Amino acid sequence: MAEFTVPEVDYTRYSNYQLVVIPLIILAVALLIIASWYVLTGSPVTQGIAFTGGTEITVETDGATTTQIVEAFSVEPESVQAVPTANTYIVTFQSNGNSGVAVTDLTRQAEQAGFEVQSAYEVSPSFGATTQTLALGGVGVAFLGMSVLVFLMFRVFVPSIAVVVSAFSDIAISVALMNVLGIELSLGTVAALLMIIGYSVDSDILLNNHVLRRSGDFYESTYRAMRTGVTMTLTSIIAMSVMAAVATAFGIQLLAAIGTVLVFGLIADLMNTYLLNLSLLRWYKFKGVAR
Amino acid sequence: MIDFRENWRIILLVIVVIVSLFALVSPTLASGPDSNSAVVQQSSQTNLQYGLELAGGTRVRAPLVGVTAEEVEFEPANAREVEQRIATAIDGAGPADVIARPVTETTGTVEVTVEGVSTTELQSILESTGYTASTVRTGVTETTRQEVVRILENKINEAGLSGGTVQEVTTAGGGHFILIEVPNEDAASVRSLVSERGTVVVQAHYPQDDIYTQQTVLQQDNFQSIGSAQEGQSGGAYVPVTVRESAANEFQQATVDTTLARPGGTRCTYSRDQNSTEPCLLLVVNGEVTNSFGMAPRLADSLRGGSWAQDPVFQLQTANVSEAQEVAINLRAGALPAKLDLTGDDGGTTSFISPSQGENFRTDSLLAGLVAVFAVSGVVFLRYRDARVALPMIVTALSEVLILLGFAAGIGYPLDLSVIAGFITVIGTGVDDLVIIADEVLAEGGVSSRRVFQSRFRRAFWVIGAAAATTIIAMSPLAILSLGDLQGFAIFTILGVLVGVLITRPAYGDILRALTTGNL
Repeated sequence: MAEFTVPEVDYTRYSNYQLVVIPLIILAVALLIIASWYVLTGSPVTQGIAFTGGTEITVETDGATTTQIVEAFSVEPESVQAVPTANTYIVTFQSNGNSGVAVTDLTRQAEQAGFEVQSAYEVSPSFGATTQTLALGGVGVAFLGMSVLVFLMFRVFVPSIAVVVSAFSDIAISVALMNVLGIELSLGTVAALLMIIGYSVDSDILLNNHVLRRSGDFYESTYRAMRTGVTMTLTSIIAMSVMAAVATAFGIQLLAAIGTVLVFGLIADLMNTYLLNLSLLRWYKFKGVAR
Repeated sequence: MIDFRENWRIILLVIVVIVSLFALVSPTLASGPDSNSAVVQQSSQTNLQYGLELAGGTRVRAPLVGVTAEEVEFEPANAREVEQRIATAIDGAGPADVIARPVTETTGTVEVTVEGVSTTELQSILESTGYTASTVRTGVTETTRQEVVRILENKINEAGLSGGTVQEVTTAGGGHFILIEVPNEDAASVRSLVSERGTVVVQAHYPQDDIYTQQTVLQQDNFQSIGSAQEGQSGGAYVPVTVRESAANEFQQATVDTTLARPGGTRCTYSRDQNSTEPCLLLVVNGEVTNSFGMAPRLADSLRGGSWAQDPVFQLQTANVSEAQEVAINLRAGALPAKLDLTGDDGGTTSFISPSQGENFRTDSLLAGLVAVFAVSGVVFLRYRDARVALPMIVTALSEVLILLGFAAGIGYPLDLSVIAGFITVIGTGVDDLVIIADEVLAEGGVSSRRVFQSRFRRAFWVIGAAAATTIIAMSPLAILSLGDLQGFAIFTILGVLVGVLITRPAYGDILRALTTGNL
């Protein structure tokens, strides 16, 4: 039977510089991806129809091909995505200016082509723009609130900023991965980004708490925090990847999006907590003595 | 012997779980069909209610077309005149497209609800017709929105669409939307229902050679204006209506011919006995009689005398104000004072979920959640290799979901995908916290004394409390902003964290202590 134990890392073998360089390079790459995305597309992340406006129709077919589905509609769909478990396709139309066709027309076209319409969803551009502002504001306020709370809890600068920086890096890496893997920003992924703020701070707080508020050797405290923290994060990663896989198979986009993006964030968090946050904490604790 | 004082946390958890189970399955708590939340369907085994995503149906969220001028200077008595003057100044607008509402003794609001009028256009129209306004903005007044909600509710009820709801929602950005949810109906029929205009006629119901016949005496476009419901001076209420001059003579003659306008008026008993009543005026909406009225002696006299047509106004009297409001709505035949903007760039959202997909989502998301729980259980067993630690952990995490389900059933909150995502999150954060407690309590060979347990438990709790606080902070924007479909997710995640920190996770500490020290 497989056994699951958290390995003890011998941090004394690595300098703070060595530890911090990997997460910083990855953060820089992530920010570069986001910045170039912004330059190329005018938006830091590809936005789904919930934010840009558009129509999404889920149709059930008797084995129709993707081309047949594309031809059934009077306007070119932006994407046709198959749901693995059923003969079901999710067809997305981006609304671009005046060529928008009403959802009722598209539904009728789908029915005329012999498809069964499972669901249809239409968002107007200006409603999408409002949602976008709200979502960005929501993530911003959540991040600010978290930062303030962390500073209030630890009341020392370096450990607090370490938590905030790793939470920021978790979000940046997740967003960059979304861009690279072609996952659009949807209401589900916004929820996931907010949850990354909540989840990622857990293991950082645990680590800081063990090192700062307990007596005992730095490395011993770190190992104890890691044993608990890695278990927590791994449990969440496994739960979320399983949920994402099942939800993708069944075509439940909201759950799939939340699961996938959270897995990104949690993996990034594993790295950021035990490399970035830990090295900053060690630097703070020893003021450079143990280098 | 169980020590109640030592185990009060476990006892509290058991009590809360039992209450939740009761809320979930007890038939006595099942809410009636008149519950006005967005309830769509009630499953047969539990009191859980499902939202549109999990039951199927159509949701339309759209703003209202219109521009409003605030603090326009006119006196309440001149409201009709203001409407007419502004309506004539706008191309393609009838009197129904302009609404003047007195607010104070000298000012009021003027709304133009025809499409394609900008704020600057209304400003210049006001200036050219000699009125001054303090501000002109897009959107309509609160009163109009409420009227639209009431009329749409009536329409949906009339169409026999059970469980349909209409409400006004306000976004954090100050935008106002009308939210319509109708279960088991597709988008096209809901959209046509809420945008179509009904037909209304007024008929005379009278005996002719001992057989009751109906004759149409007023058409919809014969009305000059239909007032709003007003309270009468001697009890009761009424709706004042004005007939166009062009139709006044004809109506006057018809009432005399049909013996409605007889000396002393008529008493109408149509609702009780339509085949022996004295002559009545019937209000017929879409072919169905909605209201019936007798004729007051004084009105009958002026109709017979021919003086009525000079001032063609009458009042439709009812027993109370709400009945009068009903009559006013019926008279307007479900015509909305302002239209829903379903097409333009300013429009809202429409979503339709077929009942079969809703049902699939229900079982599939349950499956996704269960699989996630099994995955978590597997990891926890592998990590601790001790059922005494791992099993209570899973049971405790599941009890959190049970409590939340009970809460949802108790308050009738409709379950949607986002709420289910919230449940899965709660299991995730819950197990995380339980891992923290277990690791802390079991550190260095377990707990020897109660005092050691208490101090370790308190230390674990600092981390848990801090983590819970950050999760709540992170989720609160979503819970407060009405970001459409994610509010349920945020609300249930926050609730779950609170239930966890206050009830279930402390109880797990006690369970762990009892099991590891054998000290109940």
